[in-house]
Amino acid sequence: MNRINRDTIVAIILLLLVGFFAYSSFAIKTPVFERLAPGQMGPGFWPRIILTGLAIMGLIYLFQSIVNPPPPGEKRGGLIGWYRHYKNPIWCFAVFAAFLTIIPVLGMLIAGIIFVFSLMTMLGPKDGLAVKRHVLTTFGTVGGMWFIFACLLEVQLPKGQLTSVFDEWLLVNICGIVSSIGELFADAGPSCSALMPSV
Amino acid sequence: MLANSELMTVSTMLLMVVGVVAGLIAGAIPGFTIAMAVVLVLPFTFGMTAVQGLATMIGVYVGGLSGGLMSGILTGIPGTPSSVATTFDGFPMARKGRPGLALGIGVWSSFFGGVISAVVLVLVAPQLARIGQEFQPWDYFALMAFALTVTASLAGDNMVKGLIAGFIGLLVATVGEDAVVGVPRFNFGSDAVQQGFAFLPVLIGLFAFTRLLSDVQDTKKAQENLGAHSAESVRIEHMKAAKEVLSRWGNLIRSSLIGVFTGVLPAAGSSISNILAYDQAKKYSKEPEKFGTGTIDGIVAPESANNATAGGALIMMMALGIPGDIVTAVMLGALLIHDVVPSPTFIAEQPTIAYAIFIAFFLANFIMLAMQSLTLRGFVAVTRVRMYMLASVILFYCALGVFALNNVQFDMWTLFWFGVGGFVLRSLGFPIVPIILGVVLGNIAENALAQVIAISTDPMMFLTRPWSLFFIILGLFSSFFHVYQKNRSIKRWTLGFIPAMCLFLSIPVFMMEGVFRPVLGVGLGLFGLYLIVQRARSGWKLPDAEPVMEVGDL
Repeated sequence: MNRINRDTIVAIILLLLVGFFAYSSFAIKTPVFERLAPGQMGPGFWPRIILTGLAIMGLIYLFQSIVNPPPPGEKRGGLIGWYRHYKNPIWCFAVFAAFLTIIPVLGMLIAGIIFVFSLMTMLGPKDGLAVKRHVLTTFGTVGGMWFIFACLLEVQLPKGQLTSVFDEWLLVNICGIVSSIGELFADAGPSCSALMPSV
Repeated sequence: MLANSELMTVSTMLLMVVGVVAGLIAGAIPGFTIAMAVVLVLPFTFGMTAVQGLATMIGVYVGGLSGGLMSGILTGIPGTPSSVATTFDGFPMARKGRPGLALGIGVWSSFFGGVISAVVLVLVAPQLARIGQEFQPWDYFALMAFALTVTASLAGDNMVKGLIAGFIGLLVATVGEDAVVGVPRFNFGSDAVQQGFAFLPVLIGLFAFTRLLSDVQDTKKAQENLGAHSAESVRIEHMKAAKEVLSRWGNLIRSSLIGVFTGVLPAAGSSISNILAYDQAKKYSKEPEKFGTGTIDGIVAPESANNATAGGALIMMMALGIPGDIVTAVMLGALLIHDVVPSPTFIAEQPTIAYAIFIAFFLANFIMLAMQSLTLRGFVAVTRVRMYMLASVILFYCALGVFALNNVQFDMWTLFWFGVGGFVLRSLGFPIVPIILGVVLGNIAENALAQVIAISTDPMMFLTRPWSLFFIILGLFSSFFHVYQKNRSIKRWTLGFIPAMCLFLSIPVFMMEGVFRPVLGVGLGLFGLYLIVQRARSGWKLPDAEPVMEVGDL
């Protein structure tokens, strides 16, 4: 009887990881100038307690998976079936990783627009009307969020190496107008910026 | 007074209104949980004071608990797991042509449930906190262990996976410099990791990221409208609904107390309380056969219970510094961001924040009542949004919010990697909540242990200190509670479970200071003995199997 199942493999990987971290925990050394006082807990002590607990649980999990294997899940037809099942999350992760990679090059705003539009078009329908809707939603939501964070909350969002001039222009012109309006209100009465939390 | 003056400002009130509306919208969208809404609001609170930030999050929390009832009643699809039981009678009542009354009963039950739990919160939390002041590091460490054990045991059949998840969370919290001597741990030469993982990217990655990707996994479902019904002709029948709810005060109070009690249990949130309350309401009803056909009691019970759960969860957070559910875990994270360390001395040391939470929770229920009535149509319109569009926009927002925390791009990568890890673990059947609790409680538990060892290296102190022993015994019994529940009325040993728990717990209670608690300990022990004698007299005979109500049965 084949007792190797998904839980067994996961338990073995978990135990290997525990072993790796346990080995690494012995590399945690207290510096010479920080000699521990008597009764002082060393920096590796707590992680080792956790790893001991994790190892015990990992062994129980392994034992359970062998003695009482889980019922076989739905057949997904090998690697292709598995890919089909997880296609959307895999592509979401890939597009998100690409988005993070291009932020230093294109800045948060343009990278964000590309990311949201790509993801919507990838996950949603691809007909002309839907794409138009995606474009509008992307510009509306990403632009709106950029405005809130960059102009109202004054967060220094990442600027792109290729788009730094454009990013700067946006900040000066759009956020500049907002701050001018804010100043006008400040002159006229209680500051509306008092209502806005500043970061 | 200071709490009042900090809270009763125009800006804080506006933020609370925005928070409640955001919560109501989030609650109205099926598949969008309250915890996710609170997590997504968290980045906005960095620039606020601690009082403003917490008041906003409480607004979202209360709004979210109530928002789920709208889509549940009008479309039959619960907006959040907290409103699952509301649909059993709310939807049939709406289909019978009384959607206004059904919504009104839901809204008013939510309101009264919230107010009842606010009263319990104000009365109980300071008393519990006084007990918390007796806590020494041993007791606090045992309390942390208990919280993690209970959380893991709530994973049901997957208790081992729950415990593994809890340990993984604790391990994640050890990455970075240790609190005692500042030595980097598990950074593997990376300077970015040396500072440790910021709490928010880990939380959003594990929770929101993972959840969103699960929601878009099925392309067909991701492209469908979340709820397509309109509420253009619906008017909430407030007067009639309020009268109907108040006339069922027994059900209202019982359900609210069930909600508070469920909230007190670590990680047992409103998704459980609404079903428990519905179950009890049905059992106590003179007309149980009418449940499921659109009965008023069937709406009052779950809606009052789910809102009351918030009060219970806040009691634990404020009195003992441990989260009652995922939302209060996020709030604990928010407190840490504002350099407020949650502990049993929280109410004594941070009275302004503590009393602001009391008042904010109370006020949020009134704001919820007003906003829900004013903007009903808008909330239902929101449910027409498509999941894939929502997910795409929120993923971008997650990255933006996480970056805003420290202006560090590494945090966005942390979000990504924890999103991947969370999704994989979730797909393998590991619960996510214990991981998050492990991350939140990890450093606090380590500090408590460091204090323990600094004072004494004698491990027997854990068994000789009453509170520590109390939590260890409670943790052990709660670990096996699921096994007990599963085998109740089937295996004979289960007859001894509750008596044994009473007897064991009576020992630490008897050891406690004062007169009342030792007397209580004696009482608990005698009750345990009484149960043993009673069951021995009946020859340890198993009672007739009582059907346990499951979500699927309802």
